[in-house]
Amino acid sequence: MRISTHTLFESGAARIGELQSGLVKTQQQIATGRRILAPSDDPVAAARALEVTQTQSLNTQYGANRQHAKSALGAVEGTLTSVTALLQDVKTTVIAAGNAALSDTERGFMATELSARLEELLGLANTRDAVGNYLFSGFQTTTPAFSKDAITGVVTYDGDQGQRLLQVDATRQMSVTAPGSTVFQGGQDVFQTLNDLVVLLQTSGAPSSVVLGTHNDNLDLALDSVLTVRASVGSRLKELDSLDYAGEDRNLQYSQILSELQDLDYAKALTQFSQQQTTLEAAQQSFVKASGLSLFNYI
Amino acid sequence: MASNILGIGQSALTASQVGLSTTGHNIANASTPGYSRQAVVQGASLPQNFGFGFLGQGTEVSTVKRIYNEYLGNQVQSAQTSKSGLDSYYAQIKQIDNLLADPASGLSPALQDFFSGIQEVASNPASIPSRQAALSSAESLASRFHSLAGRLDEIGQGVNSQVLSSVGAINSYAEQIANLNDAIGRAQRATGQPPNDLLDMRDQLILDLNKEVKATVVKQGDDGYNVFIGNGQPLVVGGVTFKLSNLTSPTNPSKIEVAYQTSNGDLVILADSGIVGGKLGGLIEFRNKTLEPTQNALGRVAIGLAITFNGQHDDGYDLDGNPGGPMFSLPSPVVTANSGNVGITADITAQISDPAALTASDYRLQFDGTNYTVTRLSDNFTFPPGALPQTVDGVEVDLASGAPVAGDSFLIRPTVNGASGIGVAITDPRLIAAAATTGAVGDNGNALKLGALQTANIMSGGTSTYQGAYSQIVSQIGNKTRELDVTSSAAGKLLNEATLSLQNESGVNLDEEATNLLRYQQAYQAAAKVMQIASEMFDTLLTLGR
Repeated sequence: MRISTHTLFESGAARIGELQSGLVKTQQQIATGRRILAPSDDPVAAARALEVTQTQSLNTQYGANRQHAKSALGAVEGTLTSVTALLQDVKTTVIAAGNAALSDTERGFMATELSARLEELLGLANTRDAVGNYLFSGFQTTTPAFSKDAITGVVTYDGDQGQRLLQVDATRQMSVTAPGSTVFQGGQDVFQTLNDLVVLLQTSGAPSSVVLGTHNDNLDLALDSVLTVRASVGSRLKELDSLDYAGEDRNLQYSQILSELQDLDYAKALTQFSQQQTTLEAAQQSFVKASGLSLFNYI
Repeated sequence: MASNILGIGQSALTASQVGLSTTGHNIANASTPGYSRQAVVQGASLPQNFGFGFLGQGTEVSTVKRIYNEYLGNQVQSAQTSKSGLDSYYAQIKQIDNLLADPASGLSPALQDFFSGIQEVASNPASIPSRQAALSSAESLASRFHSLAGRLDEIGQGVNSQVLSSVGAINSYAEQIANLNDAIGRAQRATGQPPNDLLDMRDQLILDLNKEVKATVVKQGDDGYNVFIGNGQPLVVGGVTFKLSNLTSPTNPSKIEVAYQTSNGDLVILADSGIVGGKLGGLIEFRNKTLEPTQNALGRVAIGLAITFNGQHDDGYDLDGNPGGPMFSLPSPVVTANSGNVGITADITAQISDPAALTASDYRLQFDGTNYTVTRLSDNFTFPPGALPQTVDGVEVDLASGAPVAGDSFLIRPTVNGASGIGVAITDPRLIAAAATTGAVGDNGNALKLGALQTANIMSGGTSTYQGAYSQIVSQIGNKTRELDVTSSAAGKLLNEATLSLQNESGVNLDEEATNLLRYQQAYQAAAKVMQIASEMFDTLLTLGR
């Protein structure tokens, strides 16, 4: 078969060009560590990688949301711990007040102490979080949860029943607040109970053990409702921890999927690179040899 | 007798000279594109009867012919036109492929940041910094849409200017082919011999023309080429050219269309289906099948996001307890009246009524005097004719004022400007409607619902998320680019094969020419020897008389 000299050069150059571009592509993959340099390299994997990236970023966002939930619930938990300690102190005082040997003056001191405790409790119920929002006023986070009437001493709830939910996982919305009305006035109004005690101890004459017992029972009821909320907060905090574990685990899985979709198999790529290199060298050498053959060299 | 020997020698000398110069010409043009090797056609002269028999009278060169196979030439041309078309389509789509290649510059990160911002508002509904951050991420989402749309527009502008230069090249080739038709005709009529190099030049021009657009050659007589492009649109007839021109699209001012001049001087747009193959065909196909659908698909994501997000935002209450307004602003769908319309007062409007039903197609509205017919251009589906308003694929079309005349048409592009026109409608972070109830600053109920939109299947008729709709674009572009890469390299192989076959027949082989050089050199020497001997014979005769 006859072949034109032009073809000899053209096809040699074209083949070398093809080999070079293949080599460059492999080199780019090696340099970036990415198997997919453009969506066209693997359209299905490229689109899938976008979806997985979104899922992963959502998973990370749920993690951030859980941190918010933890700090909100932590603030509630911390306040309620103080409230519990306070109420237990009050109980000790009430039991001590049952001592018949006490004088009116001494009971008066106790009344003063309890009314200071009441103020302290009111302060705890109006706790603000790190950014200045009232913890126990439901959605009315800029309004103090409770206010006390200066004359009657009656404490009223100024918040609402709103419970702030946070998306702590793909399918879980968790309440991270407790309305003050539930915590402090749920079954037994704790402010009223303390107020009644103060009034009782200010009255002259030793209170009967039956009356004191009733007050003590009321205190227990109030303490119970605080402890119920604490238990629920505690179990939510625990759930958040286990969601965190699951989230980290998923994060790892998503990274692995992304890596499988996008990342380069270096062993394979390097082998391919040296293979392409060998072929290119061979093509170059054989081209130079073949094109150097000419009858004109001999005439 | 002696003079006859001299004559024979001289004819041989001439023939070998012709052989030598033809070989030299072949060597000189060994790498000229489109050159076909030439060969001397040589025959014995008519013999003379001398009674004792016929005596040869030397040799004669009857012609110098080019070795060219028309069939193989046609194969190369048609392989070339499809290869050039695929290459130009590939070069264009590769730009979009690269645009979407970088995971950091695509839409996804901006979309994810935006929804992270909304989730932060859900976590801290009363916090102004959180709200400001969400607003800023909304701004950057909108500007990411703008930059993607802007890049696609740029690519569209690039297509326009390449269409212009391609049309220029086609016209210039047409002119040259027509001139060569003339020159070849004259040369052939004057001498009766083929002007080989002119023929090569013309065939090369046909090949170059095929690089720009698919061209069919119909031979006229022995020497004329009539060239047609597309669906038989004449470009060259004998020595006359019918030049292509360009027009701004009557329905889309940012688009340049290829046009031709009719016999009465009017410019008429050449249907896109009539322009196939070559660079021009590739550009037009890219514009119709990839660029415009991608612009629309991106616009559809923007519109879907804006409308559904606004819908949920409207349901909430802002930090001051007021009902939420739109978070994103959107331009109206583009409606352009055909510049040839008669009823110029007619004001057709389009409004998106259902973002889930939106497609990435454009639509044509035609008025027949009584009814309006909407045609979806992506698949040429025609909706049942009727009065306005009509709702098709989530778009409500209506006549706002004026009256069209029978035959008028309008182009409706519901999604084309979605990505370039989306904006953030609010600037005050307090206006983000995070609350589900009024007067509750700590309420994040609506922010949670807004955040949930990220994973809700609300696009493409309720089958995909915003991210999913965008991923679909990436995957479509990726698949098409890959397909073109493969088909273009297959077409390249085909072109190589065809070129190789043609070259094997027509191309110059320098070793062969070296052999010919030696052959004709020796023939020349031998002929000279014959003449020398004739001369010596004559000298012998002369010495006889001394």
